[in-house]
Amino acid sequence: MLPNRTKQHKKHAPGAKRRFLLPAVFLLLSFLLMILPLEGFVSSVKAVLSYIFIPQVRLAHGTAKYAQNVHETVRELLDAHRENRELKQQIEMTKLLSSQAEAILDENGRLTEILRLNPARRWNGVWAKVAYREPSQWNAVTIDKGSADGVRERSAVLSLEDGQEGLAGVVTEVTENTSKVLLVRDEDFTAAVALERGREEGLLTGNGLRPVRLKYIPLLTDVRKGDKVYTSAVSGIFPAGILVGSVSGVRNDDSFQTALTVEVEPQVRSAAVKELFVITDGRKK
Amino acid sequence: MWGLIKLVFLFLLATVCHWCLATVCSVWGLSVNVMLAFAVAFCTVLKPAFGYPAAFLCGLFLDFFGTKLFGNNAFTFTVAACIVYALAERFDFDGIFPQIFTVFGLTFVVGSLNSLLLVWFTSSSMWPGFWSLLGGSALGAVLAPAVFWTVRRVLGKGAVCRQA
Repeated sequence: MLPNRTKQHKKHAPGAKRRFLLPAVFLLLSFLLMILPLEGFVSSVKAVLSYIFIPQVRLAHGTAKYAQNVHETVRELLDAHRENRELKQQIEMTKLLSSQAEAILDENGRLTEILRLNPARRWNGVWAKVAYREPSQWNAVTIDKGSADGVRERSAVLSLEDGQEGLAGVVTEVTENTSKVLLVRDEDFTAAVALERGREEGLLTGNGLRPVRLKYIPLLTDVRKGDKVYTSAVSGIFPAGILVGSVSGVRNDDSFQTALTVEVEPQVRSAAVKELFVITDGRKK
Repeated sequence: MWGLIKLVFLFLLATVCHWCLATVCSVWGLSVNVMLAFAVAFCTVLKPAFGYPAAFLCGLFLDFFGTKLFGNNAFTFTVAACIVYALAERFDFDGIFPQIFTVFGLTFVVGSLNSLLLVWFTSSSMWPGFWSLLGGSALGAVLAPAVFWTVRRVLGKGAVCRQA
């Protein structure tokens, strides 16, 4: 047993020596570096090492800085994202307010105009707003005033356009709080009117999308384009002197006709009607 | 040769990681030593002929920034390498817990030994503080599995490694 053990010991001894030799060398080397003064040899070692380590340090420093920047950039991005979301909401709100302000400004302009040229100074009546408009039927509107406000069937309805009041239509149906108004262009609309020059009287009828017609004007009447047309005193519905429109054309091409057919452009456009004045009492103030 | 190139790459990675973490952790007053975690990982994978120089070089890198003493980190890292090679005969470093406990213990030992060496050679105390050292050791220990995994993944098996 003993010789074997001695043999094994002898066999492992060089390996064991080598195992301790390597750390011993490095420990000794580092110990030497520690005991030597920082000037001289150690300084030279540092100088040599600087060639190896300084690029590494630069790389490490750059990476650390980049990592810090990434952290800051991510934070900035998150902040920017939050701000962007808030600003988008604000923009949406501003857009909404802007459109509301535009509508209010428009309404304000119209109402100012109404106040300036208020027909209520001359006739008794009520102001009403268009509450509903049938998309397929632009020549009839529903207003937000009814019998409770004094509106009656066949009441004359006025409106303002381009700073001037004009005949808008006539009330055809009345409920307690709403009324239906037939506008001038509607084919069922008729009104006794008179020309500004010559005081010739005729019957105005709506014609849908085509120009409004003025019938029964005697053949030899001097009618010119641009002549104003007013409601006639003979009309049982409309008070006299309300501007209806202006002459836009005269047709006298038919040889067998007994009267002129005058085309009239209404003062109040159907599409522009928003606020209406309903005359509840035809007598002038 | 390829193994040595990989080792140099890992050394570069270790310096970058150490610098970054030291910069970040210094804000919270932690004395983290990722370089040591790398040195320990090198010693568990490499043959002693490459492990000791690697640990020595890692220590020397830290000494490069010292102003009062030069070689103390190289010394303590070599001591740590000796401990790791001694432990490697008894423990299996494939598991996460041996990695964590070894790095945690050695960070504490190296930090204390460094302070002792500084007191002995320069008569000046560089004790980072118990809680700072404990926090740094804990952080190093937490990072240890990732460091070990990286080192093993990069070095794998080869002429410089224990497993050929």
